[in-house]
Amino acid sequence: MTRLIGGLDRLVAAILSAGSWLLLPVVLLLFLQWPLRDIARAYSREANDLGQWLFALYIAMAFTAATRAHTHLAADALARHYPARTRVGLARLGALFGLIPWALFIIVGGANLVIVSLRSLEAFADTYNPGYFFIKLALWLLAGLVLMQAIVDIARPRREGH
Amino acid sequence: MPELGLVMLLLVGLGIVFTGLPAAVVLITVAVAGAAFSLVTGTVSMPILTALPGRLVNLLENDLMQALPLYVFMGLLLDRLPVADALYRTTLAILPRGPAAQLMSGTVLGALLGPMNGSVGASVLALSRVVAPRLAAHGVPEPTRAALVAVASTLGVVIPPSLVLILLGDAMLGAHTIAVTTSGRTDRVINTQDIFHGALVPAGLFLVLCLIAAWLVGRRLPAADNAPEEKPSTAQVLLAVFTVAFLLVLLGAVTLGFFYAVEAAALGAFVLFTGGLITGRLRGGVLRDVLGQAMAMTGALFALLIAATTLTLLLRILGTDRLVAGWITALPGNELTVVAIVLFAIGLSAFVLDAFEIIFVIVPIVVPPLLIRVADAKWVAVLLLLTLQTSFLLPPFGYALMMVRGTLRYAGSLGPLVRALIPFLIAQWLVLAAVLLMPQLAHVGEKEGDRSRSTPELSADEINRRMQDMLTPIPDIELPK
Repeated sequence: MTRLIGGLDRLVAAILSAGSWLLLPVVLLLFLQWPLRDIARAYSREANDLGQWLFALYIAMAFTAATRAHTHLAADALARHYPARTRVGLARLGALFGLIPWALFIIVGGANLVIVSLRSLEAFADTYNPGYFFIKLALWLLAGLVLMQAIVDIARPRREGH
Repeated sequence: MPELGLVMLLLVGLGIVFTGLPAAVVLITVAVAGAAFSLVTGTVSMPILTALPGRLVNLLENDLMQALPLYVFMGLLLDRLPVADALYRTTLAILPRGPAAQLMSGTVLGALLGPMNGSVGASVLALSRVVAPRLAAHGVPEPTRAALVAVASTLGVVIPPSLVLILLGDAMLGAHTIAVTTSGRTDRVINTQDIFHGALVPAGLFLVLCLIAAWLVGRRLPAADNAPEEKPSTAQVLLAVFTVAFLLVLLGAVTLGFFYAVEAAALGAFVLFTGGLITGRLRGGVLRDVLGQAMAMTGALFALLIAATTLTLLLRILGTDRLVAGWITALPGNELTVVAIVLFAIGLSAFVLDAFEIIFVIVPIVVPPLLIRVADAKWVAVLLLLTLQTSFLLPPFGYALMMVRGTLRYAGSLGPLVRALIPFLIAQWLVLAAVLLMPQLAHVGEKEGDRSRSTPELSADEINRRMQDMLTPIPDIELPK
């Protein structure tokens, strides 16, 4: 069990580490939109569409990255005085009764949305550029990572502040 | 069962305050519990809840949301580059020596950095690193240092193109669309650009008042005997001049509509990233660290948006938004009274929720009915922006205040810090009162045709009926096949 949780933890870390580099092409593509549109007068929509699905994948991973880095917005003026065990217990309860059911609901409830889009390799409706299905796929990526991280946190909770 | 939504909102507030859990986790947990209770009692059916995945996909493809990582990236790059230091030293060189000059330079730096890094958190980090140690060297007391860093960090909120401004712009667009359709007015729906324009004069006023407050506070402090003299080098002056010129071009181009806010953010991020590569400041593992932090900080904001979308969908299904709309439409008094009451309520919620939570959770519920009563959406947006700025500074949970206490390792009690904040909060409330009493401050330089039309006389029953039609929670629901 410990090895399984460790493996899951490393898998999430590897996905997030690789995904963090997506920001560079997103910056470049969104920056290029303006000169492509107003100076070159070509390929602006392509840059936008490509930037859009890369952004969707990036942002889908960001939720879990915040969980692992403890950067989520939280008001702990009172809770900082709680014993560490209480805080870990609260975090486990939040993961168990909040994040896990929510992630499962998104995976199951969004299945139709994602699978139909994937099967048809859905393109962007207004430009017919390929890749729109990545945005739908990002929904599963978001929920899948939240689910995996919640399982890791329940089984092997990190210490607060680390 | 609209009352269940009110109970859920109360639970959110209590959960945030008493559990110390991330606000996103609290919002999602309360939404899951509310949904489970509603399903068990038969208040809602499962198919109606399947609208949620579709709404989350809408967030993933929202053009405006692309600004989130760009601003965060810019803030982190600014922290690695010597820009803040150059700006601070150059501003200081213009002013006469003494603690007042240090406080004023810190304020100016906050105003210059704010629009570039967009987020209050990034500004707190930069100002804590650049300004706070120098204030300490000049004998400025710890509470005053912390107060100045907190206030200067929030200046970016009202100076375009800030992140809060962009997110509020998006929320206002949705709220105004509902209001215009419901009330039958023919107004043009406001966008982020309109709010940029509206915020310019109030932001300028606030900056001037903050500088006066910093001067008055600094004048009373004794000059330190052995404070280091910090003359900028020629290279630092050139960098400061280039940065200010770049910022003015960026701000001007967005304000005049040459490019969109997201493109401006992308341009800023690209220029800073290129600068980092050329100067070698992103060598080794630095870039990897910056990208990791950018993803984690972006995720914090996006998680909140996802969680708020989950909760507000359930509130809509339960009819809580219509209940609140009914209350607002039934409020007695004229436009000014109604706006003041709603702003006061939002101000109260700011004691437990931060600005982002207010934008994502409270604005979609409260502002559509407010805009049915009050036609001047730009005025309302600017007032909301100023209220949100205050919310960053309100003890005990104001985000800027909490961040400053953490990053500066402020060990003192809250009382002296709040006392040090008072001159700046008074400046803030003066601007808020001025805009409240003089709506034209949000319309300076505007063409007559851009003004919102006056509200047509509709009865409360008619408004409620139209709201009912407008907010029926069915539009983008996918029934399982």
